[in-house]
Amino acid sequence: MLVEYQKQKWSEKFLVLDLLEGLKTTLRELFKPKVTIRYPEERMEPTDRFRGMFKFSYDRCIACKLCAVACPIDIIYIDVHDDIIEEGGKKKKVKVLDRYDIDVKRCMFCSLCEEACPTKPKSIWLTTKTYELATYDRNDLYFNMQELEYWDDRPKYTGLPEDDSKAIEGQKQITGGVE
Amino acid sequence: MNTPLMHYLGWPVIKFLVAFIIVQVIVAAMNWIERRLLGLFQARLGPNRVGYKGLLQIIADPVKFLLKEDIVPSSAEKVAYYLGPMLPLIPAFVVFCLIPFGPPPTFTVTRVNVGLLLILALTSTGVYGIILGGWASNNKYSLMGGLRSAAQMVSYEVPFGLSIVGVLMICGSLDLVTIVRYQEVNAWNFLPQILACFIFLVAMNAENNRTPFDLPEAESELVAGYHTEYSAMKFAFFMLAEFSMMLVNSCLIVTLFFGGWTLGMFGIGLTTDVLAKMGFMGGLLGTLIFTTKVMMFMLFYVWFRATFPRFRFDQLMDLGWKWMIPLALGNIFVTGIFILAGQERLMYWIGIITIAAAAFYLFKPRRIESRKVAHAS
Repeated sequence: MLVEYQKQKWSEKFLVLDLLEGLKTTLRELFKPKVTIRYPEERMEPTDRFRGMFKFSYDRCIACKLCAVACPIDIIYIDVHDDIIEEGGKKKKVKVLDRYDIDVKRCMFCSLCEEACPTKPKSIWLTTKTYELATYDRNDLYFNMQELEYWDDRPKYTGLPEDDSKAIEGQKQITGGVE
Repeated sequence: MNTPLMHYLGWPVIKFLVAFIIVQVIVAAMNWIERRLLGLFQARLGPNRVGYKGLLQIIADPVKFLLKEDIVPSSAEKVAYYLGPMLPLIPAFVVFCLIPFGPPPTFTVTRVNVGLLLILALTSTGVYGIILGGWASNNKYSLMGGLRSAAQMVSYEVPFGLSIVGVLMICGSLDLVTIVRYQEVNAWNFLPQILACFIFLVAMNAENNRTPFDLPEAESELVAGYHTEYSAMKFAFFMLAEFSMMLVNSCLIVTLFFGGWTLGMFGIGLTTDVLAKMGFMGGLLGTLIFTTKVMMFMLFYVWFRATFPRFRFDQLMDLGWKWMIPLALGNIFVTGIFILAGQERLMYWIGIITIAAAAFYLFKPRRIESRKVAHAS
């Protein structure tokens, strides 16, 4: 594609108008608000569909193993045993979850487990708006049932000294799970 | 207090030291100002981590340079290699003796009646350090950078000098103080000499190897140009010299074209006489006005850097030889005709009309014209 620009008049050329126009543009840019987020002090709020860290709910889970089946790289490990409980004089067989581990270091965040989950609301979901998943040890990325449910409680990275509580107060905090 | 020794040696040295310290602070601050402003121009924040808004960067940078390992290439030509960063520093510092920061005699270090000529002579020696440093590094990119710097300097010294000639013809003096005194009685020189002012502005950018003309240190072509092999404080010396020269040239353009320490035209406003009546405070005020004007031109440098892309080398030569020199010569010719006719005041209208026309074209409301698009068959 050839783009034909308008030919400049000699007067415009003499007054170096295109240079002045460029200067004008950059000057306008100088006063525009900047998009940079000063990370540890300011945090970006991810969109609602953002896939972050897993969150698991033991109470909702029915131990059907559908998520483990749906997982394309088989990183969800589930152990179940049958238990018989009495409910209103009737004996009822229920599945009890023994182990629900996710090897997050291998996860690709495809969210197929969330789709496969039959409970309503989902008992495993990824829309937690958390992106600070880095650890110093790769074994820390292997999450068991309790860790998956209560990782919210662990201290968040602030980039500031921990005793400097005044500075932490002023920060925008990330929100946890979204339901 | 007024012994000859004090008059000829004592006071100039003291005044120079004061000016020198202030200049060095400005130069150090300029590094931060430039990085920060460039960031703001480019939709980022720039260095804002050290201290309030990153202000301590001014101290942090020199400290970093001092503590870094100083690597000397084993195959470098030692004497020339060490001389390289030192040579541009000397003229860059000495020149501040000659610049009138405020009303004389208190606020000028020395008053030389050929001050402008001396400044031109001194500033043009700054390039030797760059060439020597590039050559002695024993690195082909450094050498290329040095050579480019030399070629650029040769090309742009000429329009740089020629653009000043018009001012000299109007003011009839090489003494910077006289030039400023002339401007406060008549109009500031950028009005009658608008073309010379523009050429000077472009040429001083080229002299300092600043971005549109920073071919000697073009990162994308020659690693870092002439200072590729320099590290730690030697590199800092190059930076120091560059920023000092920027300051010198800003001082020059303010003195020559924008009325120096005065803030008035046609004898009205804050002229030297008005400032003299205020005594020492008046002098300080004059210095403040001068510094403000100079800082505005320092910001101009950053603004240009943020705006204009780098030239190709042949374009650079084209601009220098085919446009700047003929235009500067033409300017001298026109100025000569006006002076011969005794109609110097008519020349103000050239400046006024040019500025008005540029402002009119620049700020007139435009309808957005769709570009004509022709598809290549």
